[in-house]
Amino acid sequence: MPKTTILLFKKNINMRLRLVFVLLLGVLLSAYGHALQTPVKPAPDKVAKTIKIDSSRVEQRQIDRQAVDAYSKQKEFVYEETAPQNASWWQRLIAWLWDLIGRIFRGGNAGDGALLKYFFVFLKYFLIAVLVVGVAYGVLKLLGLDLRVLAKKPKSIEVPYEESLENIHEIDFDEQLDKAVQDGNYRLAVRLLYLKTLKRLSDRDMINWQPDKTNQTYVLELQNENHRKEFAELTYRFEYVWYGEFFIDKQHFEPIAQSFQQFNQQNR
Amino acid sequence: MEQEMFDQRTDLSQLSAAVAQIRETLGNIIVGQKDTIDLLIAGLLADGHILLEGVPGVAKTLSAKLMAKCISASFSRIQFTPDLMPSDVLGTAVFSPKTAEFQFRQGPIFGNIVLVDEINRAPAKTQSALFEAMEERQITVDGHTYKLEEPFMVLATQNPIEQEGTYRLPEAQLDRFLFKIEVKYPSLEEEIEILSKQHQHKPEEQLQELHAVLSVEQIKTLRATIKALVVEPKLLAFVAQITHETRHNKSLYLGASPRASLAMVNGAKALAAMGGRDFVTPDDIVRVAVPVLAHRVMLSPEKEMEGLTPADIITQIIKKIEVPR
Repeated sequence: MPKTTILLFKKNINMRLRLVFVLLLGVLLSAYGHALQTPVKPAPDKVAKTIKIDSSRVEQRQIDRQAVDAYSKQKEFVYEETAPQNASWWQRLIAWLWDLIGRIFRGGNAGDGALLKYFFVFLKYFLIAVLVVGVAYGVLKLLGLDLRVLAKKPKSIEVPYEESLENIHEIDFDEQLDKAVQDGNYRLAVRLLYLKTLKRLSDRDMINWQPDKTNQTYVLELQNENHRKEFAELTYRFEYVWYGEFFIDKQHFEPIAQSFQQFNQQNR
Repeated sequence: MEQEMFDQRTDLSQLSAAVAQIRETLGNIIVGQKDTIDLLIAGLLADGHILLEGVPGVAKTLSAKLMAKCISASFSRIQFTPDLMPSDVLGTAVFSPKTAEFQFRQGPIFGNIVLVDEINRAPAKTQSALFEAMEERQITVDGHTYKLEEPFMVLATQNPIEQEGTYRLPEAQLDRFLFKIEVKYPSLEEEIEILSKQHQHKPEEQLQELHAVLSVEQIKTLRATIKALVVEPKLLAFVAQITHETRHNKSLYLGASPRASLAMVNGAKALAAMGGRDFVTPDDIVRVAVPVLAHRVMLSPEKEMEGLTPADIITQIIKKIEVPR
């Protein structure tokens, strides 16, 4: 790794470590402040000494039943909501919705406010989880680590692979060769002969066909010395005609085609 | 008949003879390093500048000096140091009491072959003095432009950036080098050969006995021959595709420039001519891709931390592009 990059990296790491330290210090100070504000409970023996006992006489008062009955008959003190008689479906839907909202937000014992209670419990843990993930993400980011490394295999490089438009295993060589020769396109014919030879070698597992490999790679892949020498000759001819853009007529094409046929016949 | 058909177009006999002679001359003193020697010759033929990188003691400076010795042209050497000034490289105006005028005194940059030793030991200020010279083959001082004589080739050596007292070269300067050749340690057999050859005679002594192989005029002719070589349009597209991919690859922070594409084509043409062909093949392009591109691209920090090198990424890019056939 270049020296400057290492230095920059170290510098960044130092700065980021400082930031993480400041962040942690903030959290610790906040926790300490909260602890100071919380009242400390006195020891039990001290509590006993400081309690004053109320010795005054308590008068028990009775509930006035008549007054309660009178209040309960008043409309303002009737809290139970009953669906109005002969209500339309819309009114019933609205009434049901209000009831649902009321049940959610109505406090009190389990049952009525249970849903709200569960919701707040869930919200609490959700917020804690978000906080933990957020802090972890922030720390990792401050340290300059690539989080994708955790998800990906190292050393994998994404390069869009372009599939060969001309897969040698899908070409009808005989048909195309005949057409190229009939059209007098001998340059193309030599190319097709070479691709056909590559296909034959691939079919016989003599080479491992890959679109990214060069011709010389295929030459070197041939194990048999004679095959390698002969294929190197064919490669030489193909390269001169195809990459070298040498003009080729019927007279020059025939011996080249013959040498390709001979090679392919030998490797049947 | 086939042989006749293929051999008629371009006469590469002079070039082949010269290349064989340079290979032999350099090979007599430098043990191994065949790729380095071939790329040095290719750089000379392709009219490019070359950066040799390697740890101390792997014959970088010797290779450059030998290369220069093979050509009967003016040679100058600049030792780059941290206190070197641009005027030390380019030249400076000196007051002449005789004429009562300032006269420009040429710096060491005025040479056909300029060896810049330890190039990355000078700061960016001094490096920038080379920009105009390397690209435009001229320098401008005090409002005057001075043309540099053809051929003009900068052969620079440097230690890897991890070494003490080195600076990273500016991207603009790196882009001006046709190839960066990484000079590796010799193998065990090669090291034994070095010892047996050089324990009695220093290579510097052998250097004195060398004679030039090529003249300035011959180099100009060979370069003109190489320029005329055939490059099939699909191969140009292949080169462009490789360069284009470096600009969109997630592993690279900085991709290669169009100048890099041109360098790949020119380098491949030189290698083709050295191989006795007057046309380029995909093998030539693949062979020059790493020396041309590796110093021009910058890895993303993540990939750098993973221990990958630009050469690894370039190799991976090439493997994902279909060879035109």
